[in-house]
Amino acid sequence: MLVHYIDLSWRSFKRTPLVSFLMVLAIAIGIGITMTSLSVYHMMSADPIPHKSSQLFSVQLQIMDDGSTWWTSDNQPLQLTYQDAANLYQSQVGAQRLKMVRSGFSVYIDSDKVKPFSQSARLTTPEFFNMFDLEFLHGSKWSQQQEDNAAPVVVISEELNNKLFAGKNSVGQVIYLDDASYEVIGVTKNWPLTIKYYDLNNGAFNQPEQLFMPFSLLEAKQLGNWGNTNGWKHEDVRSFTAKLQSEMVWIQFWVELKTEQQKNDYENYLLAYMQEQQKLGRFNRKELAFGLRDVNQWMAYNNVVSEDNKILVALSFMFLAVCLANILGLLLAKFLRRAPEVGVRRALGANKRQIFMQHIIEVAMLGLLGGLLGIVFAQFGLLGVRQSYSYYESLATMDLSMLLSAPLIAISTCVIAGLYPAWLVCKTNPAIYLKSQ
Amino acid sequence: MLQMKNISKVYQTEMVQTHALRDFNLNVNEGEFIAVTGPSGSGKTTFLNIAGMLEPFSEGDYILDGVNVGSLNDNQRADCRNQKIGFIFQGFNLIPDLNLYENIEVPLRYRGIKAKERKRRIEQCLEQVGLASRAKHLPQQLSGGQQQRVAIARALAGEPRFLLADEPTGNLDSLMARQVMELLEQINRDGATIIMVTHDSELARRAPRNIQVVDGQLADFTLYQGTQPIKVAQGV
Repeated sequence: MLVHYIDLSWRSFKRTPLVSFLMVLAIAIGIGITMTSLSVYHMMSADPIPHKSSQLFSVQLQIMDDGSTWWTSDNQPLQLTYQDAANLYQSQVGAQRLKMVRSGFSVYIDSDKVKPFSQSARLTTPEFFNMFDLEFLHGSKWSQQQEDNAAPVVVISEELNNKLFAGKNSVGQVIYLDDASYEVIGVTKNWPLTIKYYDLNNGAFNQPEQLFMPFSLLEAKQLGNWGNTNGWKHEDVRSFTAKLQSEMVWIQFWVELKTEQQKNDYENYLLAYMQEQQKLGRFNRKELAFGLRDVNQWMAYNNVVSEDNKILVALSFMFLAVCLANILGLLLAKFLRRAPEVGVRRALGANKRQIFMQHIIEVAMLGLLGGLLGIVFAQFGLLGVRQSYSYYESLATMDLSMLLSAPLIAISTCVIAGLYPAWLVCKTNPAIYLKSQ
Repeated sequence: MLQMKNISKVYQTEMVQTHALRDFNLNVNEGEFIAVTGPSGSGKTTFLNIAGMLEPFSEGDYILDGVNVGSLNDNQRADCRNQKIGFIFQGFNLIPDLNLYENIEVPLRYRGIKAKERKRRIEQCLEQVGLASRAKHLPQQLSGGQQQRVAIARALAGEPRFLLADEPTGNLDSLMARQVMELLEQINRDGATIIMVTHDSELARRAPRNIQVVDGQLADFTLYQGTQPIKVAQGV
């Protein structure tokens, strides 16, 4: 009967093309707007590294003395001091760990074809590539020995490699960062990241850096920080060395903990570390505290998806509801005008369920057509978002799950809107209409 | 085959109670052709609707082909209607979007009959009403008489035990009315039980048995031989 009901629905559309078109259009506009905001929200809130997001933890230490406050929900700074990051990195506790900071340079090469340009860089330890799943197109990451020795080496992204070396294998080539030369030892494959979850300090939706260099270069070359540096008490910091020894927080630290046991052990380690540091006159507070949040917890903690986005999604669904309310009115008019035909069908043996299903299938088909047209509208909406704000470039897109969701949402919401008209028409008393036709 | 005992039908509004049928008693045997006459508003159509299970009754007992109709729920009544009863309406009530073949197919689909068997029955019924060559035509492409023949074909396709006809010739001219009546007589001779509501006394007289409904009650019985009444009786 399903095929028969679909056939009847199609005939119904052809019988009332204008009303049917208006209903499809109303659904499409509602779905288009809803899917535009929902797609952006979906991409913002999507797990950026689903297979290991529960194993990667951002580390926070409550460094501040009692009485000092921070703006986070639990009053803890988001980053670590240089000395804490160095100590935690040296400890060897945890499966893998890394420390990192954002920096940047003027980039140029020995070629008059490429003009110098400014580019941000990530100074990090070599575990970065394994922990965050970066793959190499050419070459590899730097060794631990190169890390320890602050070797002047750099890994560049595929995009930067295309820009500087026209996509050729650039391993062994030299690039200049500010005034120093660095040897390219690796080229990473494109890293499509919608959320820069590993460092949320300077915009969660900015693109990842395209230069990756040993963290030890920070101290060796006294490189500048392009990220955030925050102090919480007065300190006389007049030199780079003083900054490294200060209580200012500016280093990000991540640890990979594969089991609950490892996590427990690491929590104990952090407490022990802070107690140890208290003996040195640091962590002047009664209650020691730390933060150990996995990727999704970290994004939630940093309010990556703001309340505004959630409100926008809610508003778009309300707009869809308004569209559906209009459709409900049109459906009521359309279905009740068909009551005489329903009376005939009832007289010929159709039960209420069959009449109900016939009309629900028609509504579902309207939803399907509206959903498909809504995807087209949503693409225009997302195009508009991308062109309005550059940092939405990778967010304002529809992935497969959203593409499949659009018709499903359209069908299910239309069916909900059609329940009342379908129910009303199926409980029509056939006797009333048979004589009057 | 059809037994109605003390059937009453009351339409209730806030202000008034209207008794469309009261203490209505009737027995119909298999193979009968009954014409139901009576003035407008007397309850003829209400009787037909109740007989066809299109409307519930307020009181009484109604047994159709051994089934107590009063005990059936809506779905069971729909099934029973689909399997046992064929309807012919004054206004033909063909579905305008469907061609003749598809119109006749409607009750067969609801019964869940397979496509091959549906095709056989539809072709047979169209042949029977003389419209085999018009299967792909839409109802509005036919004359009134032809449309009523399609409606009859649709009623016959389900091979019903009962045919209920409500003013089947009411919208037709006399020539077409006579053709439709001859078709109904032929169907009755083939074994179907027919109850026909009509205002046309001439057509009514062609039915072997007449009943008259007045004020929601059965007024008399008349048996005809040809066009001559042979018996008049009060009550059941």
